Amino acid sequence: MMHLSLPEFADYLRQLGQGALITLELFLASFALAFLFGVLVGILTLSPNRLVQGLWRVYASIFMGVPSLLVIFLIFYGGSAMLAAVFGAAGAGIDISPFGAGVAALTIVYTAYIAELVRGAIGNLPKGQFEGARALAIPPLVMWLKVILPQALRLALPGLVNVWSFMLKETPLVSLAGLQDLVASAKVAAGATKEPFVFFIATALFFIVFSAITLKLADRLEIRLERGLRRTPQRRDAGVRA
Amino acid sequence: MNALPVDLALAWDSLPALLRGLQVTVLITALPLVFGLALAFPLCFARMSPRRWLALPAELFVVFFRGAPVLILLYLVYYGFGQIKALREGPLWVLFGSAFGCAILAFSLNHAAYMVEVLRGSLNAVPHGIVEASEALGISRRNVFIWVKMPLAIRYGLKAYQNEVVSFTKGTAIVSVVTITDLTAVANSIFEQTYDPFTPILCAAALYWAFVNVLRIGFDLWGRWLDRHNAVPPQEQAQQRAAVAASAGEIPVPAPRRRSGFRRPVL
Repeated sequence: MMHLSLPEFADYLRQLGQGALITLELFLASFALAFLFGVLVGILTLSPNRLVQGLWRVYASIFMGVPSLLVIFLIFYGGSAMLAAVFGAAGAGIDISPFGAGVAALTIVYTAYIAELVRGAIGNLPKGQFEGARALAIPPLVMWLKVILPQALRLALPGLVNVWSFMLKETPLVSLAGLQDLVASAKVAAGATKEPFVFFIATALFFIVFSAITLKLADRLEIRLERGLRRTPQRRDAGVRA
Repeated sequence: MNALPVDLALAWDSLPALLRGLQVTVLITALPLVFGLALAFPLCFARMSPRRWLALPAELFVVFFRGAPVLILLYLVYYGFGQIKALREGPLWVLFGSAFGCAILAFSLNHAAYMVEVLRGSLNAVPHGIVEASEALGISRRNVFIWVKMPLAIRYGLKAYQNEVVSFTKGTAIVSVVTITDLTAVANSIFEQTYDPFTPILCAAALYWAFVNVLRIGFDLWGRWLDRHNAVPPQEQAQQRAAVAASAGEIPVPAPRRRSGFRRPVL
């Protein structure tokens, strides 16, 4: 069935492995940035200020209503011109790599989704949490880091897991801007060897397995974040047995 | 430096081409929505069946076509099926031979896999007592499904369905990789002709945004129509608002966490 010699096949597998590494780097970098900015934007947009609310609405509506692919293209093609406009001559010399454009675009798009989740989670927290922290004279920074955000994270976790797996499936779009990631390597290998099924199914399985492993980790994280809600360690076992 | 990054004359000139691209995008969204939904029903029944030999293949279908990126599915169908000799000579070549047919097939499979989960979640959310009550009244299982379970499931799952339709619509922007000239492909070709990185892509983005928001408004109207028996007349609305304002001084009670049986896709 295979018209390939083993060394050739191993060579393509190595290329796929390198591509997979790039895909994962791109995904993890974008998710980390989107999470950081998402939490910040989520907190900032809790302000009732009209201007803040207006800006948030426009930002969220645009980036939730436009395909990520177009945002990637816009930054990849137009990024240099945008940098030149903002930073003047210093920015004009910077060339935008596909990787950089991908990270920037995915961060901008998914910051909107994560900020929306964080806003919702903080909004669902009882107001007593804020009042209690204030009554105990806890400084604002400590209140956010130790009281509000850990609880908000618990509420936002199911949504964050959704964003995680959805964003993973959108990272291959950056290959259309010329990034030699997993999908691009699979396409090259499939075209050269005339074995499209082997390479494309292997690539698909890579995404499925990675997301399955990380979802298991997310379940563990959920149990850990809910540890404050469990009164005794036995309660969960009792529930399982019942 | 021009203050506006958009070249209005170019935008006006490229509008007809972009609108033709939008037509293709609408078509390539609408057909998989229909086929995918039609495919999702039998798959969902198989997935929910207590028989392992029915449930397992359906589950594997969902895991594969939901877990793989759409771009891979598109490549798999477009480059993969062309390699099968039996297919090339068979009557189905009409479908697999054209880029359009391949794209529709790949998108339909992907949408069907997502819809199986949406349907399953919505059907599981229907309270069991209602179904038991209907059965106790001697209504046939088919009629219980059509007249009792489905109407409720549609209401429970509408938001999840909207999210899936919207994210699916945005996902169709990749069809240009298999030579279909959709909205994104038109914008790209205008960019290649003019080297204007902003005008064509921003115009295409505006059209996508409009399309997505038309869908959103449509779903909102649909949801309001489904919920019309709960619609509050204007004078009662005013009373409720006054009551809420009066109770605003009280300690707000956090809403109980809803335990829904499925995770809604957020996107």
